[in-house]
Amino acid sequence: MFKALYLKEYLKTRRAFAVCLILGLLFAAYAMLGINRVVATHGADHVWLIMLMKDQLFVDALKYFPPVIGLALGIVQMRPEMQSKRLRLTLHLPVSNNRTVMTMLSVGTLELLLVFGLQLAAVAVYYSGLIASEMTARVVASMLPWYLAGFTAYFFSCAVCLEGRWGRRIVLSLMGAAFVCMFYFQGTPEAYNGMLAGAFIAVMLTAFLSIGSVDRFKQGLTN
Amino acid sequence: MENIISVKNLSQRYGRGRQIYDGLSFDVPKGSILGLLGKNGTGKTTTINILMGFLRPQAGECKIFGEDITAMKPHTRTRIALLLEGHVQYSFMTIAQIEKFYSRFYPRWNRDAYYGLMDKLKVSPGQKISSMSNGQRSQVALGLILAQNADLLVLDDFSLGLDPGYRRLFADYLREFVKAEGKTVFMTSHIIQDLERLVDDCIILDYGKILTHQPVVSLMKNLRRYTIILPSGKQLPENIEGIYSPWQTSGTTEFHSFLAPDDVRNTLEREGISAGNLRGDRVASLEDAFIGLTGRY
Repeated sequence: MFKALYLKEYLKTRRAFAVCLILGLLFAAYAMLGINRVVATHGADHVWLIMLMKDQLFVDALKYFPPVIGLALGIVQMRPEMQSKRLRLTLHLPVSNNRTVMTMLSVGTLELLLVFGLQLAAVAVYYSGLIASEMTARVVASMLPWYLAGFTAYFFSCAVCLEGRWGRRIVLSLMGAAFVCMFYFQGTPEAYNGMLAGAFIAVMLTAFLSIGSVDRFKQGLTN
Repeated sequence: MENIISVKNLSQRYGRGRQIYDGLSFDVPKGSILGLLGKNGTGKTTTINILMGFLRPQAGECKIFGEDITAMKPHTRTRIALLLEGHVQYSFMTIAQIEKFYSRFYPRWNRDAYYGLMDKLKVSPGQKISSMSNGQRSQVALGLILAQNADLLVLDDFSLGLDPGYRRLFADYLREFVKAEGKTVFMTSHIIQDLERLVDDCIILDYGKILTHQPVVSLMKNLRRYTIILPSGKQLPENIEGIYSPWQTSGTTEFHSFLAPDDVRNTLEREGISAGNLRGDRVASLEDAFIGLTGRY
């Protein structure tokens, strides 16, 4: 049964997933080209110097990519459920409604994990040939909050799409925007290191917002 | 006889606004086909949404297979086939994908029933549902319902958007399946003539109440259309008990009633109306009966 649910979600998102994957790699390639240009004009030692002395990571092009992709994937995945209230078909399946919703979210989460993971891996592999492993780890650690922002945007956009009431949609959207912004307050590399584990748990908990939205849908709280 | 659906004292209103109905009660016995008829806004889809757990009623109790619908076990849903208004389905899937998808959920899945119907449509398994016509989509939805082989079929306005040919195909296929397999059906439709071919019993809803709940055969047998020519300027009073939807056109007043002609005559005379030219005939169709009871708006 869960395989079938995975198939349904995959069919809805496969095109968007492929686009996200390609965009993710293109953005990573763009960031790498930028670094290549600096290396070609000023030499690799200049990159080291700027990274150490000026806290620059040369991956700013990737900064807002995760939340934009998370938002888009959430909409692509959940919008069809709300068109003609198609969600009723899904909720009528002989599976616990909460498990159904969590299975749907797990598909999007896995797809994002792949997109973000590949992008991060591409950056890490590229940097490992250029700078010391400690500095590569610093780049990766500094990028992790951006990806958490991506998952946050995804979970909130799913909850907003599944929500039937405009008032709640607005509240959820504002909450989501605030949550995402939280990951961009500090521009210093590794500024979030101390709170990454807590932030990860908090982001994962936002997945449950969709269960609340679906529960309200089942109560007929739509307009 | 065992009741598959049991509704007791159901009350619902639109948000904080108009009361849709108050104290609605009815049962759907096993093996019967019950049609819920009513004008737009009388609560047909609302009733289906409540029964399927997509809307919490303000008051009342609904049971399906003896289980309270607010706490229905997921497994019980394998026994209920649901057709949503407008034949809503996962339109991003193809004919083959949707069959494969649903087959994983239903232990009694009958693949041949689905593909038997698809063969009639001359569509390829790779065709996407979103690229199909309304009629073809309705047949996909019907095929899925037949393949599910559920004990209870809940169909919300199956005729919506269908041309006469597809409506007839849907109705005939469904009736044959339901009668052969002893299924129970609870359905609504705004095209009453389709239901006439399908349903055993009908409930006719008016705003806020049930007007009648009886077998179609007895409804057609007992309901009469009466006409009377009233003196100029005279009108039939509203709310005469047993007289439904009086309607005046060019001097002739028409109304419907379950009362026999003599009883109607007595009722009218009690209201001070001479019933010398009263004429009564049986209704010709379920649609006439429906309009006769609910009025022409």
